[in-house]
Order: sequence, then C-alpha cells, then structure tokens
Amino acid sequence: MDVIRHDLVIVGGGGAGLRAAIAAAEKDPKASIALVSKVYPMRSHTVSAEGGAAAVARDDDSLEMHGFDTVKGSDFLGDQDVIQYFVAEAPKELTLLEHWGCPWSRNEDGSVATRAFGGMTTKRTWYAADKVGFHMLHTLFQQSLRYSNIVRYDEQFVTKLVVDGGAVHGVAALDVREGVVRLILGRAVILATGGGGKIFPFTTNGNIKTADGMALAYREGVALKDMEFTQYHPTGLPGTGILITEAARGEGGHLKNSEGERFLTTRDYGVGQKAELGPRDMVSRAIIQEIEAGRGIKGPYGEYVNLDLTHLGEDVIMKRLPMVRELSMLYGGADPIHQPIPVRPVLHYMMGGVDVNIDGATSLPGLYAAGEVACVSLNGANRLGSNSLTECLVFGARTGLAALQYAKGASGANDAACLRQAEEEAARVAGLRGKRGGERIAQLRRELGATMERGCGVYRDQAAMDETVHTTAQLRGRYGDLGLVDKSTVFNTELIAALELGNMIAVAEAIAVSAAHRNESRGAHARRDAMKRDDANFLYHTLAYAGYAGPRLDKKAVTLGVWVPEERKY
Amino acid sequence: MARPVHPHAMAASRPGRTRTAPPQAASGWYAQPRMLRYLLFDATGILYLIAGFGVLRALWALGSGEEAWQAFLDRLHSPLYLAFHALALVCVVFVAVRFFRLFPKAQPAHIGPAKPPPQPVILAGLYAAWIGVTLVVSLILAGWIF
Amino acid sequence: MSEQKKTFVVTRFDPDRDPAPRQQTYEVPVQPDWKVLDALNYIKDEIDGTLSHRWSCRMAVCGSCGMMVNGKPSLTCKDSLADYGSRVEVAPLSNFPIVRDLVVELEGFLEKLKAVKPFILKEKERALAEGTHRQSPEQLEEFRQFSYCINCMLCYAACPVVANEPEFLGPAAIALGHRYNMDSRDEGQHERNEIFRGEGTVFSCSYANECSEVCPKHVDPAAAINQAKFNAVIDWLAGFVTSRGGK
Repeated sequence: MDVIRHDLVIVGGGGAGLRAAIAAAEKDPKASIALVSKVYPMRSHTVSAEGGAAAVARDDDSLEMHGFDTVKGSDFLGDQDVIQYFVAEAPKELTLLEHWGCPWSRNEDGSVATRAFGGMTTKRTWYAADKVGFHMLHTLFQQSLRYSNIVRYDEQFVTKLVVDGGAVHGVAALDVREGVVRLILGRAVILATGGGGKIFPFTTNGNIKTADGMALAYREGVALKDMEFTQYHPTGLPGTGILITEAARGEGGHLKNSEGERFLTTRDYGVGQKAELGPRDMVSRAIIQEIEAGRGIKGPYGEYVNLDLTHLGEDVIMKRLPMVRELSMLYGGADPIHQPIPVRPVLHYMMGGVDVNIDGATSLPGLYAAGEVACVSLNGANRLGSNSLTECLVFGARTGLAALQYAKGASGANDAACLRQAEEEAARVAGLRGKRGGERIAQLRRELGATMERGCGVYRDQAAMDETVHTTAQLRGRYGDLGLVDKSTVFNTELIAALELGNMIAVAEAIAVSAAHRNESRGAHARRDAMKRDDANFLYHTLAYAGYAGPRLDKKAVTLGVWVPEERKY
Repeated sequence: MARPVHPHAMAASRPGRTRTAPPQAASGWYAQPRMLRYLLFDATGILYLIAGFGVLRALWALGSGEEAWQAFLDRLHSPLYLAFHALALVCVVFVAVRFFRLFPKAQPAHIGPAKPPPQPVILAGLYAAWIGVTLVVSLILAGWIF
Repeated sequence: MSEQKKTFVVTRFDPDRDPAPRQQTYEVPVQPDWKVLDALNYIKDEIDGTLSHRWSCRMAVCGSCGMMVNGKPSLTCKDSLADYGSRVEVAPLSNFPIVRDLVVELEGFLEKLKAVKPFILKEKERALAEGTHRQSPEQLEEFRQFSYCINCMLCYAACPVVANEPEFLGPAAIALGHRYNMDSRDEGQHERNEIFRGEGTVFSCSYANECSEVCPKHVDPAAAINQAKFNAVIDWLAGFVTSRGGK
C-alpha cells in the first residue's frame, strides 16, 4: 500500500481548508501540507455562497456591536470568548482576502462596500455582487497555487481517520480515480469538510455536502456538539432548494403571502422593525406559520410565499443581485425585475458539528476541525447570515496555525499499526464495491430525507422527533444490507455515494437524538410542545457521542461573558 | 460517432494513473452552423491568395506594353473571372461583417490613460471607414474622380 | 405533473472492461422542468448505478457538470431538457482524455491554470495595516467579467485550437491570466505577458469566438485573449524602450 508522509493533513478544500493550508504554508515554508479533497477545490460548496461576509468596516460600527449581534443571533448559546476573537479578526481576514485579489464590490471612493444583512444592526457585510462564495473560493484556491509546500490530493475520499496510541496520525483515503486506498500520514489532521445538508430532502446544499468529516470524527469517539441546531434559510426555491440569498432582502426585498400582504410587518413574528432582515430562524418560522395558516401559495412542489424585488428597479437588481436574477429565471421560472420569486425555507447550514475549542482542537490529540464541520461555537443556536464565510477564514487560519504548532511537537506514528489500520480499511472498502444486498442507495437516501424533514424541520414536536430517532436507527441497520451494482475500480461514484450515505445516516442519528432531548425552543430548534427558551435548564451545548445502541448524550457549558442572556426580541 | 483530435490535447504532463480514452470531438462539426461559418471565414484566405496572384499577373501585363495590357483587360470579361471576383466580393463582405463584429470587444481596456470609444462607436466607425473607402475607390475606378 | 419519455444515448467507458468508449441507450421518463443533469441522476439512481458523472451544486456555479449534449458543450445543470428533442446524446467534454463514462481528465487544465500565475503579484507585499487597496468601480469593471470563470471547461471543449495544439494555454487560463493583468492591484503584467508570448502562446488563438459562445457565465474569454494579444505586443515593444530589454 502507498504510504504518503506530510506534516499536516487537511481534509476538505473549501474556504476553511484552503485558508488553513495557506496559513500553515505561509508560517512555515518548510512544512509539507497535504490538502486532501474528494472533489477539486473549486467545486467545494463554498462556491455557492452568495450574499457576503461580515466584518466591521464602517465608522458607525464597532466590534462590540458585531459581537452582540452575533451573541443575540445565536440565542445566547454562542461561546462569547470565541465571538470576541472572531469579530476582532474578521476585518483583518477580509482585508487579507482583498490583498489576495478578491474583487469586493466598491463604493465610489474606492473603499469596500457593505450591505445590510439579517440580524445585523448596521451594514457590515462585505460583498462581491452576489457571488461572494465563488469569488472567495477562487481567490483562495488561486492564492494556494503559490505555495509549493501545499500538495493537493484531488478526488481522494477520506474514509477513516488513522488513530494510534490515543492520537490521530493520518487518514486512509480512497483514490476516486484509481480505486485504491492510501495511507496519508500527518502529525496533525484538520477536518474542513463542511456540513451535511444532503441529509435533508430540500436543501441549498450541493451533492457533496454529506457530513463526511463529522462522521469521521464521530466514529473515533469525538463528540458532535449542538447537532440539533440545523438552520433553515428562509428563501430557497421550492423543489430544487436553490439558494436565493439573504442579500435580496438586504437590498430591500419584501416577503409577501398569498394575499399580497407583507406579513413580517403586519403580524407579530418577533422581528420587530427589522422585518425581512430579522434573523433566519425567525423569518423561516414566520413563513411556515403563514403557510400553515392557509396564506401560502400553492405550487407543484408544495406551498411557498413570494419574495418581491420588483420595486427595487432593474438597475439595482442588475448591479447588486445579478445572480439572483439568473437563478430565479433558470430555476424558479420568474424574472425578479417583473415578477416575485417563489421561496420557502430550505435546509442551509449546520450550526452544530465536531466539538472543538477556540483553536479548533478536538478531544482527540492531533485532530482539528474548522469551518461548517466544526462547532467552535461561534453560531450557537442560530447563525447570522454572512458570518460563516468569515468564520471559515478566521478559524481556518487559527486552526491551521494551531495544528501546525501541534504537528511540530508531535511524536511520530507507529507505522506498522497505522498501516494495519489502513489495510483493514482498504479491505472494508473493497468489500463494499459492487456488493450484493436488498437495499438501494437512492431509496435509503429518500427515506432518510423524509424522516429528517418530518422530525427535524422548522417546527418540531416530541412524537415526530422520537419517530425520526427510531427511523434513523433502523436505517443504520438497513444500510448493512445495501446492494451495489458498479464493480469497477475506476471512478466508481456509486461506491462514493454508498460511503457518503453511511456518513449521512450516522450524523442524522446524532441530530435526531440531540433534538429529541432538548426540551425548549432556542434559535433554530423550535418546538411546538416547548415554545419558550429555558435558560435555567438548557443553557448548555449538547454533546453526542457515538454508541453501539445509538448516540449517547452529554452536556458542555456555554462560555458566557459580558453579554448576559436576555429575551431575544428585535 | 465522435472523431479523434490531437492525441495529446489537454493531456497532463505526467501520464494519468489509469488508462484513459483519447480525446475526441463531437462529430457533425460540419453540421454546426457556427463552426462551419468559422471554418469558411478562415478558408476565404485561399481566395485572397489567388486574387493576389491575379494582381501580380495584372502588373506583369502592365509592364509588358500596350498590347499585353489590352489582352489582359479583354480576358477579364470571361465568365470565369467574373464568377471568381463575384465570389471574392461575397467573401470580403462576409469576412468584414464577422471581423467587425468581433473587433470592438478585443480592444484593450485602456492604453495608458486613454480609453477606447464605446463599442457601438467603434463598430459604426469601422463601417463608416469601409463604406467610405469603397465609395472613393468606386468613384476612381469609374473615372469620376482622378 | 405530466410525464414524457426521452431516449438518452450516453457514452460509456470503463477502462477495466472497455477497449474504447461505447454508447448505451436509456429510456427516461422526464419532467417538463428538468435540466439534463436531472435525467442523468435519474439514470444513476433508478436505472443504471454504474454510470459515473461529476456534479455538485446544480446551480451553475461549481463547474463540475460540463458535458457534450447533442454535440455541443453544455453545463448540464443549466440546460433545460425541454430545449432538446426526444433523443439526447450525452458525451464527455470534447478535447479531453476520458477517464470513465462522462468523466474527463482535468490535470492538463490545472497545469495551464497554474502556468499563468493566477494570483496578485507585487514587488512588495502590502501590509495588513495599510488596509484594503482603493479600487474604483470603474477599475473593478475592467476585469470583473473575466473573474466569473467557474472552470467548467466548456470553452476548451469548443475551441478548435485546443483540439489541435496541446501546448495552447486555452481560453479559461488566458482569461484568468488577463483578469489579473487588468486588476489595478496587480504588478505582474510583464511576467504574465512573457508567459502569454511563450510556449502556450495567446497568438495561437484564431478568434473563432466559440469559447465565448458556449461560456455559461458570459466571461467572454475570446475578448480576454484578444485583448491579451494586444497587451502582450505592447509589453514586448516596451521591453526595448525600458531597461528590462525585450524577450
């Protein structure tokens, strides 16, 4: 078996992974850094982010304001030391990205422009028309090409972390093209694999968001934190789930129900003056409530509401929201200059993830995580829009440096033990290829999505969540009887889909069990049978550990600070 | 089915780790109107080459005295020459229209501090120059001026 | 929802088993609002799990799903099935070595991309404390369009020069190099113009304009390449006048 050695191994080549690689490569030009990604980095899902990235830029803004907005947005579950660090580093990271060529949209005087975004008290979202994720990812990727010590392993699917002597020493990766498994040794491993939106049937996420990194850590005994907090973005296209960015509302778009009523202003949904720019969890709940009250508009993919941009005028739309217009016309059948866009809440982001501290370190020595895959926790129970791209940069950089530091001091691996693990993994994967069985990937995936939508949707209740816990456990069993048809070794995407499905089911179970045990409503976790936030009993992070009979839960304290939990009203 | 292209088209500098099939192009390139137009555009060069030889021939005749020149002029009435020049005219118009369409966007964004005029202005300018030159040359050939 | 059947003739190639690419036919019940990619996913999920193809975002921004549909380069998540008749031929991108089924070799492109130095080059790195560069909206406009490339490579599949000259840098790579040349923050124009006059020379481009015709993001690489030609010549001439010396 091929054994490859590097100082640092980064799994995932999106915003956080590339930023971590650049940070480490810059800090130590002699360090050899492996960037292992199951797709070419420019395909990473960071590319689809549209609205912007937040950092304090204007004179009428302050770090305290950004910090408080984030804490309040998180429904006071965010760790305040993390948030303080984040808001201070954010402007530096976005400036650095500008130095690297990111084409931020500009004001007339040449300074970087900012726009309003949900839950932010002032304009602090830096934007690049409405393609910020695309520009950020390509800037980072192109910048990473400068460093000869970043070695890329493209289209390599990491199937297992290699753990020996209680520490991580590398990964076993399946070469998608060749079909062989290789051992990539690294003194530290950073997971930057993103979230798991594909677990849900209607999602803004692309095909590759299958919670791989979360599952990798989970299987090695690392806790997944706050998994119950799954963010529904209020404005996704019905059917495809394609994202219509919050920036459309930031530039002044209105949400209207079937009666043409701007329901966020006429009815009390807790967003107050902010109306369409309320935090995502509240706006999503408002839309669902409108639909349930019979004021939704019926369509072939279920009911939806209208996002009206017609009053913004052609100029504003063409200049600031060109991609929104393209997407609406291509996938939503509406030209926003003349017609409202059909939208409904769709799964978008996971606030939860691998439990890490502010350095991105997990409880397993040598294992780090940054970006959506991690729960640091910056976003608590609900993320504010435009914070996550900045999060990828701030914590990608910090984690890259922290992991590099650890790698320098780490002792070497027991090569024989690691090789043995990798060879066992290779045998397991080979056994999966073209194996006989009664279950079909697409069918299991559909059933997984259906139960997650029912039990872990925008509104939850105990009975539905318990049902989902039960169903995901069943799916875990049925996965063992998976039947595959593709026996080829070269670019076998069916095998990859099967591995991804296994990851999705494992993480889905953690989500369901975490949700079923949080007996309050907080942020994105909204229960009809426990509508109030209960700080006395539930102001903690949920930890989920993998167990034979299903996830085992534990608690972790929230790091409080200057901002005292108060009622979350806007 | 598909037809082969250069065997090393888009090849990596090191051989791929698995066996690949050689690069192909979709068949029916001749059936794709855009590609056909491009190939014809390039192919008109042959006509200009021939026309160039024709000019050399005319110069030779001019230098060989009155009779040779008159004989040359008489031969220009032949149907073959007329057909050839009519075809050449069609080609020139075709090439000019296509080239003019593509010319404005190929202009640099700026040369030092100077910016080019807006694209529609460049396009209008090209046609104006073409028609102007054609008019002047026609008037000269018809004997109305000079 | 009304349903209709279309016949898909898909190129298959498994290097383990097939001496050469072959075609396989599938009957697919299609929905009226489907894109070509939806049909391919249906084939993979419900009819033939051995079909391999790349895709991810399904919203025309990641660039994974470029293929030839009825002989033309297409971003399959963007092109509606309704635009095609009852027979749809899907093949891997032209001009690329074929790895498996509809998957092509991308390493060649990545080498060309790296060769044009697609990053901001500066004599002296700008310090963080100096803040962001000042760049006016007009300056941004000079390169903005060229920065929209999603690396889908439809332009390479369409380019007649790519088909015949392996060294040619190609539309996307040149457009991205030109994008950096036109960025007011960059100081690497001379370096890149040398590359543009080098082995993969921009002058191989015969301005067929096919690349711009097929580009799904309206990058207009043909404009970039031909602007780059002009700039490369000026840079060469300038080399005689300044102390650098022409090359």
